[in-house]
Amino acid sequence: MASLISSIRERNKKTPTWLKVLVPVLAVGGLGVVVVTAALVAFVVTGWLGQPVPVLGFDQTFDQPIDFPHTVHAGTGQLDRDPSLPELGLDCTFCHRTVTTQANAGVPPVQQCAFCHQSIGPESNSQLQILRDHAGIDGSDKEPINWRRVHRMPDHVRFVHEPHIRYLTANPSAIGNAGSEVTGAASVEPSMVCSTCHGDVAAMEQVKQVEPLKMGQCVDCHRDNGAPTDCAACHH
Amino acid sequence: MVTQAGFGNHKWAMAVDVDKCTGCQACVLACQVENNIPLNTQDRFERNRSMAWIRVERYWEGEFPNVKARFIPIMCQHCENAPCEPVCPVFATYHNAEGLNVQVYNRCVGTRYCANGCPYIVRFFNYWEPVWPESLRNHLNPDVTIRSRGIMEKCSFCVHRIRRGVRKADSEGRALEDGEIRTACQDACPTDALVFGDLKDPNSKVSEMKKSDRYYTLLPALGTSPNVFYLAKVDEDREVAHAGAEGEHDDGH
Ligand code: HEC
Ligand code: HEC
Ligand code: HEC
Ligand code: HEC
Ligand code: HEC
Repeated sequence: MASLISSIRERNKKTPTWLKVLVPVLAVGGLGVVVVTAALVAFVVTGWLGQPVPVLGFDQTFDQPIDFPHTVHAGTGQLDRDPSLPELGLDCTFCHRTVTTQANAGVPPVQQCAFCHQSIGPESNSQLQILRDHAGIDGSDKEPINWRRVHRMPDHVRFVHEPHIRYLTANPSAIGNAGSEVTGAASVEPSMVCSTCHGDVAAMEQVKQVEPLKMGQCVDCHRDNGAPTDCAACHH
Repeated sequence: MVTQAGFGNHKWAMAVDVDKCTGCQACVLACQVENNIPLNTQDRFERNRSMAWIRVERYWEGEFPNVKARFIPIMCQHCENAPCEPVCPVFATYHNAEGLNVQVYNRCVGTRYCANGCPYIVRFFNYWEPVWPESLRNHLNPDVTIRSRGIMEKCSFCVHRIRRGVRKADSEGRALEDGEIRTACQDACPTDALVFGDLKDPNSKVSEMKKSDRYYTLLPALGTSPNVFYLAKVDEDREVAHAGAEGEHDDGH
């Protein structure tokens, strides 16, 4: 054993210095290539299957003009700020009014926020201050809030909320990501079906897209539920 | 075939009463606006690359001073046996269960075989990226995809209006009524020369018009069996005059 070690030492002495430097450099470089390739493959594969991993600006969430928390308004737990106070548990359709009747779900106008917030919420909250500015509560000019879209189909796809909400409220077995309140409910409210495509929004500080919403997902469900799979239904 | 709710229960068709057409071009304009068709600038027109999903062809009959102008609106004929469909290498154009010849823009790769196959010359290729002046940006129809460069397009029978009408009837839990779904050109026509409807409904207006003895289709010899049919002009000088069958075509329409 000792002779083996000494013979390796002997050989090492003979190795030229440039080789001693080059070998670790190549080893590290090779490792680097493997890591970069793996990252690239992971990016492409996740992007193909759903949302790409959130690097290089491929984020699923955006900074909104106001940090609007769905938790406080639509959740049913307790407020973070003061755990003795309940969250509001507002119905989704209270704000997204046209979801049951039209293609777009719609986002509420500033006036609707101001209806509560001209009196509700701590004075000191900077986000609420932005809201009050937009709503013209402090005498400033009224101005709509420029929310950024989180879910957006490509230009060549037509999505319509109305038939989906109608079908899913009538056929609760097709609802995806359903919580216990759906399985146990006597009748299904429109707000119970949103989770199918949007996940549990009521638990999100910041809305993000959790379902891939690629053509495969749309068509799979359409095929299973006797909905149109003709290209012209979604592309025109 | 798998049955698709709301699909295959209709067979859409259009009747064009040539006798009522005054050649006013309102349909052309309405279509242009409804379907986000790029503006036909003089430059595009002169290069023979202007687009019009529906056009009104004009023919002259007779010698001066006894001349008659004949008009005939022509759009995609939505052929049951369409020459454009089998030539598409990527199945971007196909016949759906409701009699529409569908063009799937995002599937299209722009080979232009279909336009070459079409005997009615109603398919148009986007040679350029479409641009609208800033003032027209908010006039675009959000229900219709904007076609980018390198894509074929044509009359869709206002499929967005069809889907909307079908959905509306569904959500109200009733059957679709005849005349409920109207295409943009039909809406614009001041003389009701264009009638859109469902041939599977025996009492619909189109079904009735199809029984008329003035009925004819364009280029029947090709056997394309179109879903657009025409009612010939009533002319005291002739028994049955097929508009456009004779006369000299004036290219400068
Ligand atoms: C039904 C009344 C009501 C409506 C409508 C309403 N809110 Fe609120 N909002 C509340 C209440 C209650 C709180 C909790 C205030 C507190 O923490 O004391 C709150 C909190 C907030 C907060 C602060 C969250 C935090 O704790 O940091 C923001 C920001 C906010 N709302 C924005 C909005 C916006 C934007 C709209 C319009 C889309 C809106 N709200 C509509 C009742 C409402
Ligand atoms: C107090 C009003 C209010 C209530 C209640 C509410 N929302 Fe929202 N929602 C908003 C506002 C404002 C936005 C835009 C800001 C954002 O994206 O965070 C929004 C955004 C969204 C979006 C993302 C839209 C996009 O840009 O793609 C989804 C999805 C959504 N809400 C679903 C729900 C669901 C599901 C519920 C019921 C659990 C619900 N909302 C309840 C006000 C509300
Ligand atoms: C079948 C899947 C599906 C269901 C169910 C669904 N959505 Fe959506 N939602 C989408 C898709 C897809 C988009 C993106 C639409 C687009 O870009 O045209 C979207 C967009 C939105 C938006 C932003 C754009 C808009 O339409 O105003 C809101 C807000 C929204 N959904 C709320 C809801 C609410 C609230 C519910 C439940 C009542 C719901 N959605 C149920 C698929 C769904
Ligand atoms: C949870 C199942 C489900 C998912 C997911 C789903 N759909 Fe649907 N969709 C349906 C059902 C069911 C109908 C038919 C409703 C009815 O009319 O009874 C429908 C109808 C439609 C219609 C109306 C068709 C018509 O008649 O004109 C469109 C458009 C549509 N879906 C697009 C989409 C798109 C785009 C997506 C993917 C983002 C999608 N759907 C995802 C279940 C689903
Ligand atoms: C239920 C709705 C639905 C139906 C039916 C449907 N598609 Fe799609 N399709 C989509 C959605 C949603 C996307 C966008 C997916 C994404 O975000 O990548 C899409 C994307 C595509 C794309 C990719 C375009 C691109 O640029 O990446 C092609 C091509 C396509 N569809 C062709 C078809 C054809 C051909 C048919 C008919 C056989 C069809 N689709 C039927 C919903 C549908």
